[in-house]
Amino acid sequence: MNFIKTFFSREILVYSKKSSNIISPIVFFLICITFFPLAVSNDPIQLSRLAPGLIWICILLSGMLSIQTIFKEDFDDGSLDLFYAKDFSILQIILVKIIVNWIFSALPLIILSSSMVFLLYFPLSNLLNLLSSLLIGTIIISFFGALAGALSLGKNSILASAIMLPLSLPVLILGSSASTYSSENISFFLLLLLSLLFLTIPVISLACMGAIRLHYE
Amino acid sequence: MNNTLSSIKSFYHKLGSFPWFYKISGKFIPVAFILGFSIFFLGIIWGIYFSPTDATQGEIYRIIYLHVPAASVAQSVYFAMAIAGFVYVVWKMKMAGLFIFAMAPIGASFTVLALISGAIWGQPTWGTWWIWDARLTSTLVLLLFYLVIIGLYSSFDNKKSADQAVSILTMVGAINLPIIKKSVDWWNTLHQPATIKVFSESSIANEMLYPLLICIFSFYILVFLFGLMAMRAEIAKRELNKSWFKNLILGND
Repeated sequence: MNFIKTFFSREILVYSKKSSNIISPIVFFLICITFFPLAVSNDPIQLSRLAPGLIWICILLSGMLSIQTIFKEDFDDGSLDLFYAKDFSILQIILVKIIVNWIFSALPLIILSSSMVFLLYFPLSNLLNLLSSLLIGTIIISFFGALAGALSLGKNSILASAIMLPLSLPVLILGSSASTYSSENISFFLLLLLSLLFLTIPVISLACMGAIRLHYE
Repeated sequence: MNNTLSSIKSFYHKLGSFPWFYKISGKFIPVAFILGFSIFFLGIIWGIYFSPTDATQGEIYRIIYLHVPAASVAQSVYFAMAIAGFVYVVWKMKMAGLFIFAMAPIGASFTVLALISGAIWGQPTWGTWWIWDARLTSTLVLLLFYLVIIGLYSSFDNKKSADQAVSILTMVGAINLPIIKKSVDWWNTLHQPATIKVFSESSIANEMLYPLLICIFSFYILVFLFGLMAMRAEIAKRELNKSWFKNLILGND
């Protein structure tokens, strides 16, 4: 428990030292969102119909950029070697890193995406469904991204994206479907997303441990 | 009971040995070659010349004799790869990693065959080459997984880490594929429901069913053949400098 606390504050410190960790996903997300009205259509009715999908695609892409380098720095400067050699729990390291990365890169985007009610004419009645599906979905995406990052440590980043994107397809489908319903009652897709979360956490944590270990064999 | 268990164990250990596998698979290849291609031509010729014309779809339905076997094989190969991935991760059996490496391009080619033959079939019957329906989408995603596996494999220099990484990815993909299929399923599905059912009456005439089953059977033999050949080629590549391989090739046995 003590180790988790120390490691957590270390990670928070590392992330907060670099302001680009928070700013770049936000900028990327906003630019991506801006593209769609300019490229597709600025018709409010059409945009509000496309909005759930667009928000989800942009969240997925910006999440992809920030999560796949999650182990990179520690791998490159050798900290991961030390953790490994010193018999620290790799599982705890993975979980803490994913949580901290999620707080810094995904949470601001979720808050920001409520402004899409104005920018993309997203229907206000669906907002609760959108936010809760984003809340669950971004965690799942973070886990897939961490696995992709762990598998492709020391490789080029296109490979990590290529691994992560097909894995994230169910999240994209369920999440954007959940956001197209009004929030009066809990969406069926939201419950499915939640069950996917509980499947993802143990399975992907295990896979992630195996993926990190293979670089030290 | 104890006897069978020990013989299974010894078979497992033999299966993990490259020299044993290389020698024994050499004997299977000619048999599988003759059997696979003759059954394939039997099924195809029966299907194209002798089975009746479909009442609603006309002659175009005959592409079923390529499409269904290819799609079936494409999924089965991935399933087998996922099992091999599990075997590799748990017991570190070298042969399992080699199996995944050898089968991935084969599975990818059969997936492409299924997609292309499906598009050719879909044009005249549905009026479109492609539709975002559950089966088509999940087959496309299956192809993506095959390609990602091939890509991940080629990015490693060390075969051992490559095997480990690919095994993990294959297993995660195997859990993910049914979820993807199910989640696309809630969209409207245009694809005709599966025609061959194991536990109930098939919704296809027997004169069409028998050649189809023959074709499917022959595709599995052919995949077995291609898989053996690809695995032997990879064994030869990895063991090029080992003495057993040199002795075998130079005939000093």
